[in-house]
Amino acid sequence: MNIQDNYLKNKKNIFFTENENVENHREILIKIFENDRFDKKNNESLKNVNLKNFLDFNYKYLVPEETSVINNNNDNSYSIVSVNGQCTSFKDDKIEITKILDEDYNDFSKNDTIEKNDHFVNLNSLFLNSGFKIIIKKNNNIKIKISNIITDDDLTIFQKNNYICEEGSSLNLIEEYENKNNSTSNILNVIKLEKNSQLNHFLIQDNAPNHNLIITTHSSCKKDSIYNQKVYNFSEGYVRNFHYSELIETNSEADLQGIFFLKDNNTSNNKTFVKHLAENCKSNQVYKGILNDRSKATYFSNTHVDQVAQKTEGYQLSKGILLSDNASYFSKPELKIYADDVKCSHGSTIGPIDENAIFYIRSRGMSKIAATKILISSFINEELSSINDEQMAEIIQKKLVRYLSKVK
Amino acid sequence: MNSETLNTLDSYSKNKYKYGFVTDIDNEKPKKGLNEDTIKFISLKKNEPDWMLEWRLKAFSKWKTMKEPKWANLNFPQIDYQDIYYYSAPKGFEKKPKDLSEVDPKLIETYNKLGIPLEEQKVLAGVAVDVVFDSVSVATTYKGELEKLGIIFCSIGEAIQKHPDLIKKYLGSVIPAGDHSFSALNSAVFTDGSFVYIPEGVKCPMELSTYFRINAENTGQFERTLIIADKGSYVSYLEGCTAPKRDDNQLHAANVELIALEDAEIKYSTVQNWYPGDEDGKGGIYNFVTKRGLCAGKNSKISWTQVETGSAITWKYPSCILKGDNSIGEFYSVAITNNFQQADTGTKMTHIGKNTKSKIISKGISLGKSQNTYRGEVSFLRKADKARNYTQCDSLLVGNKCGAHTVPYIDSKNNTAVIEHEASTSKINEDQLYYCRQRGLSHEEAVSLIVNGFCKQVLQELPMEFAVEAQKLVSISLEGSVG
Repeated sequence: MNIQDNYLKNKKNIFFTENENVENHREILIKIFENDRFDKKNNESLKNVNLKNFLDFNYKYLVPEETSVINNNNDNSYSIVSVNGQCTSFKDDKIEITKILDEDYNDFSKNDTIEKNDHFVNLNSLFLNSGFKIIIKKNNNIKIKISNIITDDDLTIFQKNNYICEEGSSLNLIEEYENKNNSTSNILNVIKLEKNSQLNHFLIQDNAPNHNLIITTHSSCKKDSIYNQKVYNFSEGYVRNFHYSELIETNSEADLQGIFFLKDNNTSNNKTFVKHLAENCKSNQVYKGILNDRSKATYFSNTHVDQVAQKTEGYQLSKGILLSDNASYFSKPELKIYADDVKCSHGSTIGPIDENAIFYIRSRGMSKIAATKILISSFINEELSSINDEQMAEIIQKKLVRYLSKVK
Repeated sequence: MNSETLNTLDSYSKNKYKYGFVTDIDNEKPKKGLNEDTIKFISLKKNEPDWMLEWRLKAFSKWKTMKEPKWANLNFPQIDYQDIYYYSAPKGFEKKPKDLSEVDPKLIETYNKLGIPLEEQKVLAGVAVDVVFDSVSVATTYKGELEKLGIIFCSIGEAIQKHPDLIKKYLGSVIPAGDHSFSALNSAVFTDGSFVYIPEGVKCPMELSTYFRINAENTGQFERTLIIADKGSYVSYLEGCTAPKRDDNQLHAANVELIALEDAEIKYSTVQNWYPGDEDGKGGIYNFVTKRGLCAGKNSKISWTQVETGSAITWKYPSCILKGDNSIGEFYSVAITNNFQQADTGTKMTHIGKNTKSKIISKGISLGKSQNTYRGEVSFLRKADKARNYTQCDSLLVGNKCGAHTVPYIDSKNNTAVIEHEASTSKINEDQLYYCRQRGLSHEEAVSLIVNGFCKQVLQELPMEFAVEAQKLVSISLEGSVG
């Protein structure tokens, strides 16, 4: 079924079909799908993607019967259970949670940070069927944990979440994606950081082999704000992590980090993009990957420094370890610099585990497998030891042990 | 930024092209435009055998179905292929002069202005020069000496006549005519270029060198160079070019193919200084070059060194296909852009064989309002066991209206291969400047010293004859520029 028929057929289940502006925009999107030649070579969003699966899919969405729960513990921490991409509204003097509204339907085709032909973002806008909006009120320090649950098999979730951190607020956001059924989630997070605010965003991804997760983040940082993102991808299904950050006012920072562990036939596509649009901003992009069996990964990183963004510091690092003959890793660390007073660099390495290091450990009486495991753990130790939250560190450690147990 | 720096930058960008002059020689041209008749005309003029004409026409029919590649970070108006002359040869050049005294004295004068007097070079540098003026080979020196060793060094036109077997076997074997639209265009209409064959076991005793020069207005120059190094041989080839000042954009789409068989080594060095356009970005050469080397045999080596200072548009990716086991590919590049110049240059290393190694060192310097992009691809295929790559690309920005970009593509399909890539972008270090000034150097000298130091890693890879010229070029590009 083509995209247009699919859309018209399922219109009743899709958000904002009454809104004229949204509908006009969707018409444009449908035209893009009709006319695009899906040129895999020049479209980063399509590399290593099975075109047929994502263009020709069965749309299925169920409105959750049981509304999701929010527990408000007294110590400024909240846990949210989002079911099929939706959660109940909630309001107190610190946070406000509502359904997503017409006005939150941003038209990303006008924003040149997100690639115009990112078809997954376009699909999200087109088939939008869930999502929520969280506002952190001024000068509050909040911790939120979101568990994303999908109730049935074969669901297609197109979710859009808006996060707004008001002036002086600080948010620790932990998102868990652990789904065992074969559904597809396409999530777009739009994050706005006001003056002097901070968001520490953790994404723990651990889905079953047949679950596809496509997650795109777009954050914009105002003066003195900080956006930290850490992605831990242990999924056995396809995961796409595309994260964009715009530093729109001075002294803001963006730190996008990720580690992924792949095995079997799994594929993961990753992209980070930081756009420096103001002076004195800092950014850091670090991705590390471990690939076993026949797995494939791509990582695109991009630092764009605008002409006005003097005194910029922008760093990128990409490291990959290939554990098997059949694994493959593609990386493209890109710098686009239009200002002269900058410090920018990128580094990228791909290779096997250092044989000398293995030899050293083995000569001390360890087996080869044990040596390999020690070296993998030390490869990502920096990222793991920087986790402040004890509970989370434990969860991630467990998942790492599980991954290592399959390494032979 | 202090006012002195601003003044410096101003004078930097006002630095004019020193070599802008035109030699008046009558040109014999076919009509403008590209069609089968043009190709037949070229083939007829060059006395080519039928199989060559067929090869050209086949390439032309491919070109008609192709579009220009779009990946580059370049802005230029649509090229009108029908508004270009595809063949221009000074009159009376169908019969080649036997030695320099028969050459048009005006031509010799042009070279003298460029500071590369043939006579002098013959004696002093011991360089055999195959000069290309527009599209026809003017004079070839030192031919006899090379012939004794069995080395063939002649124009490609001559090679088509005299060595059809080698041409048939190797032409288009590294860059197929249908590779992309510029290679198809070149295959269809190439007029001249060099052909080098080094027989088994021979180490070429001198640097082979060609100076290219575009002269006639509106004449696209389509060079085709083919270098074959047989088993165990070695050759170092130099290519350098300057072009006279013109307002109309000139198209240049050269193809260079290198083939290194077992244990052979080819070193290919380029200094490119085509006319870059004036300070308002008007005019200048469009340089779309395809250079590709094939390390076909075991233990072979291909090394590219380039100093790119000219051209309004540079689109150039000298690459290596490392097919033979233990083969080595190297790429050293300095690219300097000023005013409205745009450069999108880099390399492509494809590791196919076991134990293959490659090294990429790229230095980009942007001044004025120019855009300088490094674009490189390193890929390890499944069977490239123990392959190794090291890439370093650094960019220097002078002034806040220019851009420096780095776009590497890294693809590994082998788990024993190791790849390392690093890049940095910054402006000239204030501390270094201060240090130099403190020791009595002028601002200009200091910048020149720092930039030369920045490029040294690449410049030292050039052969002696070239290193001097290249250093001069770097200084010229900066000179008037600073102070």
